[in-house]
Amino acid sequence: MSKYETNDSRRKFLKQVAAGATTATAASIIPSRAFSANKQLTVGMNIPMTGDLAPWGLPGYYGCEIIARNINAAGGVTIGGETYDINIATYDHGYETDKAVQGMKKLVLEDDAKMVMMLGGATVAAVLPWATRKKVLTTTLLPSDITPDSNYLVATCESHPLYNATGVEWLARNYPEAKTAVIVTNNDVEYGLQSTALYQAAFEVAGIEVVDTNLHGFDVTDFAPIVSSVLDKDPDIFCMATSFYVTPIMEQLYHQGFDGKIISCTLDFYHEIIAKTSVDFVNGTIFQFPDFDDPALADVNFPDPGGFDAAFRADHPNDWSAVAWEYPVILLNWIENAQAAGSVESEAVTAQMTGSEQNFVFGGGSWWGSQLWGLDNVLVGRWPVVVVEDGRARIQEYGDLAAWLDANNDVLIKHMKALGLRTV
Amino acid sequence: MNNFIPAKFRPVLFLLLLYAGLIVLPHFLKYHQQDFLIFLTINILVVVSYRLVTLTGEWSLIHAVMMGVGAYTSALISKNFDISFWITLPLAGVMAGLVALLLSYPLFRMTQFYFLIGSFAAGEAIRLSWIQFIKPFGGTGGTSAIPSPELMNIDFLEPIPYFYLVLIVVSICVYLLYRIENSRIGLTLHAVHWKGVLAESVGVNTWNYRTLAFVIGSLFVGIAGALKVHYIGTVAPKQFDIGFMVFILIWVIVGGYRTFYGAIIGAVVLSVLDEILRGVEQLRPAIYGATLIFFILYLPGGLESLPQKIKQKFRANRESAT
Amino acid sequence: MELLIQTVVNGLIQSGFYALAAIGLVLVFGVMRVVNFAHGELVMIGAYTIWFVHAQNGVPYLITVVLAILLVTALGLLMERFLFRPMTGDPLGGLICSIGMLFILQVIATYVGGEGPSKQVPPPFEGTLVLMDSVRIPYQRLFSITVAVFALGILWYFLTRTKFGWAVRAVSMDREAAALQGISTIRVSMIAIGVGAAMAGLAGALMAPLTNINPHMGHNVIIAAFIVTIVGGVGSLPGAVIASVLYALFHTFVTTYFSGTIATISGLVIMVLVLIVRPTGIMGHRVSE
Repeated sequence: MSKYETNDSRRKFLKQVAAGATTATAASIIPSRAFSANKQLTVGMNIPMTGDLAPWGLPGYYGCEIIARNINAAGGVTIGGETYDINIATYDHGYETDKAVQGMKKLVLEDDAKMVMMLGGATVAAVLPWATRKKVLTTTLLPSDITPDSNYLVATCESHPLYNATGVEWLARNYPEAKTAVIVTNNDVEYGLQSTALYQAAFEVAGIEVVDTNLHGFDVTDFAPIVSSVLDKDPDIFCMATSFYVTPIMEQLYHQGFDGKIISCTLDFYHEIIAKTSVDFVNGTIFQFPDFDDPALADVNFPDPGGFDAAFRADHPNDWSAVAWEYPVILLNWIENAQAAGSVESEAVTAQMTGSEQNFVFGGGSWWGSQLWGLDNVLVGRWPVVVVEDGRARIQEYGDLAAWLDANNDVLIKHMKALGLRTV
Repeated sequence: MNNFIPAKFRPVLFLLLLYAGLIVLPHFLKYHQQDFLIFLTINILVVVSYRLVTLTGEWSLIHAVMMGVGAYTSALISKNFDISFWITLPLAGVMAGLVALLLSYPLFRMTQFYFLIGSFAAGEAIRLSWIQFIKPFGGTGGTSAIPSPELMNIDFLEPIPYFYLVLIVVSICVYLLYRIENSRIGLTLHAVHWKGVLAESVGVNTWNYRTLAFVIGSLFVGIAGALKVHYIGTVAPKQFDIGFMVFILIWVIVGGYRTFYGAIIGAVVLSVLDEILRGVEQLRPAIYGATLIFFILYLPGGLESLPQKIKQKFRANRESAT
Repeated sequence: MELLIQTVVNGLIQSGFYALAAIGLVLVFGVMRVVNFAHGELVMIGAYTIWFVHAQNGVPYLITVVLAILLVTALGLLMERFLFRPMTGDPLGGLICSIGMLFILQVIATYVGGEGPSKQVPPPFEGTLVLMDSVRIPYQRLFSITVAVFALGILWYFLTRTKFGWAVRAVSMDREAAALQGISTIRVSMIAIGVGAAMAGLAGALMAPLTNINPHMGHNVIIAAFIVTIVGGVGSLPGAVIASVLYALFHTFVTTYFSGTIATISGLVIMVLVLIVRPTGIMGHRVSE
C-alpha cells in the first residue's frame, strides 16, 4: 500500500471518528456498546486506576472511552474486511508489579485484547518477559522501558522525557539572560531520574549552568525546606523534572518569592495551582502538555481535538491530565496500523507499525531509540512547547525533537550514565 | 467411613488427596488464576513463618520487610553476578536470617508495645534505604529483569511449572516449620509466651528463644520473597510495605493464630475473597478492615475456631432444650 | 545565613503540626494503653473535611475548622466506644481494631473525594510576611502555628489546672491506683480520646491548605507521630511537645542540607536507639504493663 493511500484512508477514518463524535454527543446516553451487529474488537488497558498514580491512568481510560464511543456511534471500524466495534477492557494494577503481571494475562488470554496500553515503569518491566514471548503488542508512555529485545513494546505517543528538550530550547531562545538553573524532582528512576538526565543535557546544550539538583524521596510532606535549599543558590530557572509534587512545590516557590522562569515537564491541574497561588505567578510557566481546546491544535492528527476536549470535560470536569489524550492517540494510531495491515493480530500490526512511516500526532514521526535503549521503537516527532498565558495553557511552537536528539545524543548519554541510568 | 479407615492413616490420606488436587488444580484454572495460585502458595509460607515469630507472644511489624530482604538478596545476586537461582534461593533465607539476628539485639530489648513500634521503625528504615540508595537497590521503581530459574529445559516463565516449583519449596519449608513447632524448641516457645517468668525461673533463656523464633521465621519468609520476585521478574520497595504487613496480620488473625493451620486457612479464604472482590476495587480495603474488626471483636479465635464454636452452640441449644 | 534562619522558621512551623498530631497518640496510649494506628487517618479526615466542606462547598474556613474538630472528635469517641472499650486489657486487639478502622476511613475518604489526583485547598489567608529578602512566612503558616500553640496552651491548662486533667494524668500514671481512688477510667478514656481526636482534627484542618490531601496522607503523619511519641517518652505530654520541636528542626535541617529520605531514616534509627537506651524517652516515666 502506498503512503498516499494510507494517508487518504487515514483522513477518512479521522473524519469518520469526528462525525461519530457529533452523533455520540447528541445522544451521549448511548453506551459505548449499544445494540450493534458488529464484532467486538477488544483493546486492553493495564493501568493504575486507583492509588497514587491513578491520575496518569484513569483519565486515559476516560479518553479512550470517548474515542470508542465515537467510533462505534459512527458504525464501527473496518479492518481486513471485517467491521468491529471497539471495546476497551481495563485492569487496575494500582501500580503494583504482581497485579500488573496478572492483569496482562487476564486481558490477553481471557478478554482477548489485541493490544495492551500501559503507563510504563516497573509495571511494564514486570510484564515484559511474558508479553515479549507471547508477542503481545504493548505500548508504554516511558520509552526507557524499551530493551534491545522488547520487539513488541512501542512508545507511539509520549516519548518521556525526550520532548522536554523542546521546552528548554524555547526557553533559552526567548530568555537568553537566564543563565543558571536548579532541578528538583522525586528520586525514582523511571520518572524523576530519566527526566533529570534529559534536562541536564538540554541545559548544557543551551549553555545554561545547572547549579543544584535536588532529588527527594516520596515521603516528603513539607516542601518548604527543599525549596529554601535550592533557592539559596539564586537560580534564574527553576526546573521540575517530571515531579509528582508540582502543586506544593509551586506553592512554596510562590511564598518564598521566586521571580525567575519556571519550567516543568507537566503542569497537571494547573487551575488548582493558580487557586493556591496567583494567575500572575503561574503565567509564563513553561511545560509540555497542551489543553485540547487550544486553537493551535487545529491541524494535528487527531479527530476534532476541541470536541474531544469538550466531551471529556463534560463527563469528567476535574480529571483532565497529561494522559487524557495520550492513550487515545495510541489507540487511534494502532487502529490505523491495523487497517493498513488488514489484521488485528499483534505480529501483523507490529510489523506494519515499525516497518512504515508513521504520522505522529503533532506531525513528523520517525522511529528512534536504538541509540539509547537498543531498539528503534520510540516514535518521535514534533512536540509542543506550552506556556501559561492569562491562566490558560497555550502552545507557543512545535519543537523538532528528532533533530535535537540526533544532534545531542552524546550529551544525553553522558548525563544518563552519570545518574546510573541504563543505556546500551 | 470413620470405621473404614484407621485413624492414624486419615491425615496421610488427607494429604494425598490434597496434593493430588493441587497437582491437577492449575490445569482447570484460567491463566491469571494460575498466577493467583502461585502468589497464594507463597503467601502461605509467609503466614506460617510469621506464626513462628508470634509463638513467643511478640507481634512484629517487620515480617514483610524481611521478605523483602530475601527478595532483594536473591534478585540482586542472581542478576548482577549471574549466579543460579538454586544458589541464591537459600542465600535469600540466610541473608534474611542474618539481618534478623543483627536486629534482634536492639529489638529484643523491648517487649509488647515497644517491640511492635521498634520493629515497625526498623522495618521502615530498611525499606526507605531501598528507596534512598538507588545503587544497588534501584530506588522506588526497584530492579527488574531478574532471571528466572533454570533447570533442564523447563520453562519457568510459564505459570504451571513455576507453580510446581513453588509447591515443592513451600511444602518443604512448611513441613520444616511444622516440625520445629512440634519439637522441643516449639514447646519452649509456647512456654516463653504463656509462662515467660516461669520459663526463666526453670533456666530457659527467653531472649535466646525469642531470637531463635525471629531468625527462623525471617529465614523462611526470605525464601518466600525470593520465590515471589523470581516469578514476577521485578523487586520493588512497595511490595513489602506496611500495607502488605497488615495483610499478613489480617490473614493470621482472621484464620486464627492459635493453631498451625489457622493461619493457612486465613490466607486462603481471604485471598480467594479478595479475588472475588475484584471489580469493587475501591471498597476492598474497607471490607478487609471491617472483617478484621469483626473477627477481633466477635471471633478472636479466628476461622479455625468456628467449627468448635458452632458445635458448642449446638450442644448448648440441645442442652437448654432438654 | 538567611537560609539558616529560613530553615529554623520552616522547622518551627513544622513542629506545630507534629505536636498536634502526636499529642493524641500520646494521650490515648497513656490513658488506654492502646496504639491507635488510625490516628494519622483522623488527621486525614480533618483535612478532607476542609476540602469537602470549605473548598468544594464554600463554607467559611474558620467555621469548617470547628466542624472538622467536632467531626473528628465524634469519630474518636465512636472508636473508643465500639473498638477500644471492648478491647480493654488487650493492647494488641485494640491495635488491630485501629488498623481495621484505618482502612475503613481511607475508603470513606476515597468515596467522598473520588480517585485521582491529590486534593488541593486554596489558602484562606493569602500573602506572605517578608522578614528578610529570603526569610518569608506565608500568612497561612503563621496562622497555623499560632493556632497550634494556642491549642497546646489550652490543653496544658486543662491538664494541669482542672479536675479532669488531674484525673487524666492520674490514670496515665497508674491505671489501677487511679481506679482505686474512685476515678472512672471509662470517663477518663473518653476524655483522652476526645481531646486527642480534637487535636488530630485540628492538625488536619490546619494542614489542609498547605499539603497534598489524599486518602494515604495519614501514613507520613503516623510515622512522625510515632517518632515524636517515642523520643518524647510514651505517655509524656511535655515530652511530646519538646520532641516535636527537636524532631521538626532536625528533620528540616537534614532535608535542607542533605535529603528528606535520609532525614526520615535517621529519625527512625534515632527512635530505635531511644527505645534501646532510654525506653522512657526524654521525659517519660515507666509505663506499668
